[in-house]
Amino acid sequence: MPRIPEPLRRLTRGLAVPVGSVLFAFVVGGLIVAGTGGDPVVAYQGLVCGGLGILCSGGENSALQISNTIIFVTPLLMAGVAVALPFRAGLFNIGAEGQYLAGAVACTAIGVKFSTLPAPILLPMVLLGGMAAGAFWAGIAGVLKATTGAHEVVTTIMLNYVAQWLVRYLIIGGPLQLQGGFSVSSPIGPGAQLATILPNDNHRILFGLPSSVYRIHVGLFIALAAVAVFAFLLWRTPLGYEIRAVGQSQRAARYAGVSVRRTIIVTMLIAGAFAGLAGAVQIAGVDHNLTDIYFSDTTGFDAIAVALLGLGSGVGIVLASILFGALHAGGSVMQADAGISSSLVLVLQALILFSIGANFLSAIKVRLPAIGRSPSTPPAAIAAAATATEATGAPPEKDTS
Amino acid sequence: MRQSQIRYLGLVAAALLLVAACGSTTGGTASPSAKVVKVGLVTDIGGLNDKSFNHLADVGLEKAKVDFHIQGDVTESHTGGDYIPNLTHYAQLNYDLVIGVGFLMQQAVGTVAGQFPTVKFAIIDGVGTDAKGNDLKLPNVVSLVFKEQDAGAMVGVIAGMMEKDKLTPGKTNVISAVGGVSIPPVNHYIAGYKWAATMEDPGIKVLVGYSNDFTDPAKCQSVAKAQIAAKSEVVFQVAGGCGLGALQAAGQAKLFSIGVDADQGTADPSVIASALKKVDVATYTAIQSVVNGTFQSGALTFSIVNGGAGYQLDNFPGGALPADIQTEVDSVMAKIKAGTLTPPDTIPAG
Repeated sequence: MPRIPEPLRRLTRGLAVPVGSVLFAFVVGGLIVAGTGGDPVVAYQGLVCGGLGILCSGGENSALQISNTIIFVTPLLMAGVAVALPFRAGLFNIGAEGQYLAGAVACTAIGVKFSTLPAPILLPMVLLGGMAAGAFWAGIAGVLKATTGAHEVVTTIMLNYVAQWLVRYLIIGGPLQLQGGFSVSSPIGPGAQLATILPNDNHRILFGLPSSVYRIHVGLFIALAAVAVFAFLLWRTPLGYEIRAVGQSQRAARYAGVSVRRTIIVTMLIAGAFAGLAGAVQIAGVDHNLTDIYFSDTTGFDAIAVALLGLGSGVGIVLASILFGALHAGGSVMQADAGISSSLVLVLQALILFSIGANFLSAIKVRLPAIGRSPSTPPAAIAAAATATEATGAPPEKDTS
Repeated sequence: MRQSQIRYLGLVAAALLLVAACGSTTGGTASPSAKVVKVGLVTDIGGLNDKSFNHLADVGLEKAKVDFHIQGDVTESHTGGDYIPNLTHYAQLNYDLVIGVGFLMQQAVGTVAGQFPTVKFAIIDGVGTDAKGNDLKLPNVVSLVFKEQDAGAMVGVIAGMMEKDKLTPGKTNVISAVGGVSIPPVNHYIAGYKWAATMEDPGIKVLVGYSNDFTDPAKCQSVAKAQIAAKSEVVFQVAGGCGLGALQAAGQAKLFSIGVDADQGTADPSVIASALKKVDVATYTAIQSVVNGTFQSGALTFSIVNGGAGYQLDNFPGGALPADIQTEVDSVMAKIKAGTLTPPDTIPAG
């Protein structure tokens, strides 16, 4: 057998768990479709067409499908980072959804209040405002964890509820409600809106459709930059080193002179800022007002899956976001074209998570190497520990000194 | 986490749906030779199994498929962010009619209908709007709206007559309505209900409360409990899924309740009747207009007159309305049809 070069071997071993999980999910999902009288090939063809714009048979527009997927991918990238960073510090941030909503609320409030300001002033204001709001929301959980030891899983879940009901209040009878409207806010000022990459014009035809149907906006670049910042922060800065040290062993980190409390709080603040940015970018780039759409939003929950599947690495988050974004966008096309309920997508997502959480792939002798530079804790181990922690309710190694 | 819990419940539902889908046709591919009218239906986040308007819209579509030999496809929205892509999907494939179900999709329909002026759109319970909620009055959009007050009046007659005839346990002469949110479609129902009950029994007291929610049964249950504590004996729910809690509250107190939109007789034994908003009729009518080439933009209103609103008797004690109540219900219905009685669309004072 020819020797496989070491980097390639490391890469394939690193990809074994996520790729294996995805394959597992698709095989089981296919069996479910076949077992219930559907045709898995047709179903998956619709899914791939809707998600990636390829293999389309029904006259779908590839450019539109890709654009729709990117719209779902963009917030997932930033929210995924918001979950992945705390993973590295041994924290399980279930609260990305709440932080995302906090960011969306702040962006809307600022964008409506100062709607007449020009873009060079207003746009940074709404984005930074969203980050600050997200950071504040996550910071509550961080401070509680660092001071009273309150488990971040519990506090972030509860803060999700608070944020969800806050949004509801604000636009149903609350101060952000549009005069004479129901469950919508006023639109943010034009200066607060992120430009679309293709012209937002109903009359110009691009790739066979009015160019306004392609909703991709410059927020995509903000999201990719956020992932890059995350990777840089984690691997190239002293703070990133401290975060990883705390994640591996709080005792050892403390012994090495790292302030565990400070690191926990700072980690949560940064994570919340990423999630808040995601919410702000979604308002500024896609929706332009806070509406009932946000009642049913699941970005922050999907982000948990993205961070797990992406093994907490920057590249992994990008790939996992694309997968989940494509699944989301593809499910609708699958239902429309193949008549298979788009809920199959939720089955697939759950199966992927299940197979990662169950970690049975590693039981069949696939050891996971570190994806990063140093031989740190395997991220899957952190993820598995975090899941186990959530399941048992036991706090991780506690810092109560 | 509630959303995610709902999603995992959704997985179970999905499995069931897939089982249910067994044996049905696997695709909507029609023969390319003949020009087949294509209709795409996009549900709101309630999904097809909401036992309410999404379900009824699909019922209307299925009936139209049989009657007109059209191609009908359905997409369920899982999040609000799906509305635009789901509507756009059918529009870009040049479907003849794209139907958005429910008020929540107003802005999405307004946006997509503006991008595809050659595709016809229908929206149930709403109009195509811009971001500020203004009706865009697009030439390719028809709004399917209802005179909910007609349906509310029918159940209002029943509730009023029950109190007048002293058929309720406490004979308190108090009835109530639990609204979701104070918006026109909800208030239309309550307006008709209160108007008709007061007409039958001028001394009656009609309590009105709002849960500010359409999904959480606990909230409507607490509103209904407060009304029951204030001596209400018939509770009319006008709050979608939330209102199921109001029906249960009446059941627990061994009192009576009235369902809304669809036949809710199976939701709780206390449900004596349901006020019907026939979204299936509306959907069918809109499709028919496209098939016949008589599509017109603007509004199509559904009421008792054209069979788009009405009532359904459910678990009424004894199985049938007492003769005098039945006579009165029939007479009021006839008068509304004839135009000699017109239920108001705003809640009467007092």
